[in-house]
Amino acid sequence: MLDAVDLEAEKPRGPRLRGLLTLAALASGPAGAEIRFNFPEPVTPIARETLAIHNEFMLIITVLFVAVFAIMIYSMIRHRKSVGHEPVKFSGPRGAAQWFWALVPFAILLFIDFVLMGIPAVKAIVEMEDTKTRADMVLKVTGMQWKWQYEYPDSGIRFVSTMSTPRDQITNAEAKGEHYLLEVDNPVVLPVNKKVRILLTSTDVIHTWWVPQFGVKRDAIPGFLRETWVKIEKPGTYRGQCAELCGKDHGFMPVVVHAVPEPEYLAWVEQQKAAAQAAASGADRAWSRDELMAAGQDVYSKQCVACHQPNGQGLPPAFPPLAGSKVVGTPLLAPDGRAVKDSHVDRVLNGKPGTAMMAYRNTLSDVELAAVITYERNSFGNTLGDMIQPAQIKALRQEAKQ
Amino acid sequence: MSIATTVHGEHPAEHYPGGLLRWLTTTNHKDIGTMYLLFSLVMFFVGGLMILLVRAELFQPGLQLMKPEFFNQLIGVHALVMIFAALMPAATGFANWMIPLMIGAPDMALPRLNNWGFWLLPPAATLLTLPFVLALFGVGDGAIATGWTFYAPLSVQGGLGVDFAILAVHILGISSIMGSINIIVTIFNMRAPGMTMMKLPLFAWGWLITAFLLIATLPVLAGAVTMLLTDRHFGTHFFDAAGGGDPILFQHLFWFFGHPEVYILLLPVWGLMPHVLATFSRKPTYGYTAQVYGFIAIGLLSVIVWAHHFFTVGMPVPALIYFMFSTMAISVPLAVLFFCWIATMWKGSMTFETPMLFAVGFIVLFGIAGLTGLVLADVAADAQYHHSYFVVAHFHYALFAGGIMGVMTGVYYWLPKWTGHMYSERLGKLHFWLTVVSFNLTFIPQFFLGLAGMPRRIPDYALQFAEFNAISTVGAFILGISQLLFAWNIWSCVRGGPKAEARAWEGAEGLEWELSSPPPHHSWETQPVVK
Amino acid sequence: MTESFSAEDLARRRAASRRLGWAIGLAVLALYILGFFIKR
Repeated sequence: MLDAVDLEAEKPRGPRLRGLLTLAALASGPAGAEIRFNFPEPVTPIARETLAIHNEFMLIITVLFVAVFAIMIYSMIRHRKSVGHEPVKFSGPRGAAQWFWALVPFAILLFIDFVLMGIPAVKAIVEMEDTKTRADMVLKVTGMQWKWQYEYPDSGIRFVSTMSTPRDQITNAEAKGEHYLLEVDNPVVLPVNKKVRILLTSTDVIHTWWVPQFGVKRDAIPGFLRETWVKIEKPGTYRGQCAELCGKDHGFMPVVVHAVPEPEYLAWVEQQKAAAQAAASGADRAWSRDELMAAGQDVYSKQCVACHQPNGQGLPPAFPPLAGSKVVGTPLLAPDGRAVKDSHVDRVLNGKPGTAMMAYRNTLSDVELAAVITYERNSFGNTLGDMIQPAQIKALRQEAKQ
Repeated sequence: MSIATTVHGEHPAEHYPGGLLRWLTTTNHKDIGTMYLLFSLVMFFVGGLMILLVRAELFQPGLQLMKPEFFNQLIGVHALVMIFAALMPAATGFANWMIPLMIGAPDMALPRLNNWGFWLLPPAATLLTLPFVLALFGVGDGAIATGWTFYAPLSVQGGLGVDFAILAVHILGISSIMGSINIIVTIFNMRAPGMTMMKLPLFAWGWLITAFLLIATLPVLAGAVTMLLTDRHFGTHFFDAAGGGDPILFQHLFWFFGHPEVYILLLPVWGLMPHVLATFSRKPTYGYTAQVYGFIAIGLLSVIVWAHHFFTVGMPVPALIYFMFSTMAISVPLAVLFFCWIATMWKGSMTFETPMLFAVGFIVLFGIAGLTGLVLADVAADAQYHHSYFVVAHFHYALFAGGIMGVMTGVYYWLPKWTGHMYSERLGKLHFWLTVVSFNLTFIPQFFLGLAGMPRRIPDYALQFAEFNAISTVGAFILGISQLLFAWNIWSCVRGGPKAEARAWEGAEGLEWELSSPPPHHSWETQPVVK
Repeated sequence: MTESFSAEDLARRRAASRRLGWAIGLAVLALYILGFFIKR
């Protein structure tokens, strides 16, 4: 559906250099200190501001910490019984001078809270929340268990991004790659130096979209739209993760963003549109069963496998098995060619409200839907022997529109 | 039977049945206090074991020991057990033991309510952990896997573990509310003649504010989880946008309880700190009145700052700014407490027995919690910290270094009073140093992990986080194993040891030190008068 | 410091405690029930 290979080839040096630095840090310790002890390198105005604020705050609280506990430790050394210190008897400030010195720390604290920290904080909040002013484009992000769907409303591009780290690396059966857990099949591509307004929602539970180098983190809430924005200033590949516990594969839904110069971005958009065109035209020809099965296996392994498992056994009760499933066993279509309510086709296209089963009509192409339905009906010991053509899915879609 | 007789019995020591029945039916504040404390100790190890499994899984990248599903169950139940079954009962145990002694009351005002309050805890803890066992027998899919926060709609989607947890939280809530009622009425009605509210020991003041916070916020939590239950099973849509509800409503309700809960766990500790510091500095508490008003101010502020726990859900700018500044405002009364603690030590004549060591360790490490809390309040920086290991480290500085080390301070301070024996000072100090060093070894790396971008609650992580996670796991295991010293020290102290005097510590002041160690079965047969 | 607790005094204190206890308990229940009428 999406060809990211050439992008991978042109990947800027930044991350690779960082990887080297991390290795160096492993070998020599302090070399990679900058990366490992603080925020990663900021690449948006917000991230830069956040890092500056963070550094300022850390300085303030370190000074406070040292000052306060220096006094305490001084007292612990000087005012101990073993050095013969006699206790005094005061239990509160006495006289104007003592009151003055008792109140000074609080005046300082109020100044720190509401001026030194408060003013830059308010400034940053206002900037962070201003998603609309001079926004150049919109990216819609939809969280779903456990993948992200990205939509570009301006150009009609839409795709799902799932983790591409092989299962064997996770189970320690093979060596882990450089970007273990932080790599996806279809990365988001965004132009640099453009203000991108990001709209977030979710189809099931709350997810959180987070790329540390962008300095933004925002929840994707089912049934609501939330927004944030990024303006990436440097081309590169940026990696993040879902940050809100969203079920069993919460740790396995990375975010990968390719930031590229605008001409490259525009070329990518054209390429995506052409690919979508090709996929749509594929819906009009008749597909052989083997073609559908092969394509279906591919779709299944990306979209369905997390819940329904590689063997189709699911993880009941939350995620029902497909092997021997009653729903899969329903007839494909009604005799008049319409979809039957609660049939296999209906469930894949329209999901099941109130469960993790989402409506794939919004996510997959006609070919992909036909392929995966055919695949599910003829795998995991299911031997229904029938198949559905992309053209039939296309017809169902048009019927639903009317 | 008349309550007056139990209190007034002529042969008090012979008045209770022996064996198990004594503990089941006891209405004696000291017996109930002991049961609370033992229960808390047991659950502390249960919760600790869970998190050691988690840390073992996180020792290296990749999935080694468990499936992510089980991992998610462990982290949530660890938190619920530690908060509701370890820390809160420990504080209630302190209150039961010490408040009547401190205010000169013969017992708690409502002794049977007291008994009931305790005996609700074991069934609740069982309910919380039972789904683990049921899953072994193929019933259900294990315990609650949503983290301790129950966030809808994940909790609506979850299995029977969520229902068990909802039920357990209801029972724990009822138990806490009964405990709170008892403490409030005891403090209001049972004080010795001459003990005005402004002469009340600070520990009792801290607990009084805690009790009011529990009463104000637990019904809200109970309401929220009841709504969750009806959303799950009875077709309501409180938290479902498709039915006109709102998932974020749950977060508002939860944290309206959840933020005060932090102070519920900490106020009793803040209350006992001045006692310990004054004792081992041999000097009166500095700023008694300021601390009382500090407690009250923190109590009031704590119920108006809840939304700082979920800045990332997206809120209007004025709301963000309000919640940021109101949260920062808490630093002022908290600084009053720090100021008074250090001023109490200032120019004293200090010795560093185990309770004092823990108190000093508490002040320093809790200081880190307070200061990192101040930066977390900032919305812009919070966008980076939130949901990351930075937050995990922050609240463990608050709740382990603040809460649990505070409780350990109290245990070492009062053990001689409770048992009549001195504990082993050598073991106590060893326990302290092991705890402090391994605690920091566990949690300092987590600050850096969070800054580098590691989200919390993930069973597996990218390779760049490997070293710090390995260090953290080593620290956690040392920390966990060191706690066996604590249990062993308590056990041997109960069994025997050098005899403790009534005033077990040289500089100790207050009514509780006037009674023998251990105190007679019925405290204050004769009424003390505070001058 | 030697005066004994008198039975009347104790009974009075406990009665006051029970009244206050019930009042708080009912307040808790009211708060709980009120919660269900929260609308977003």
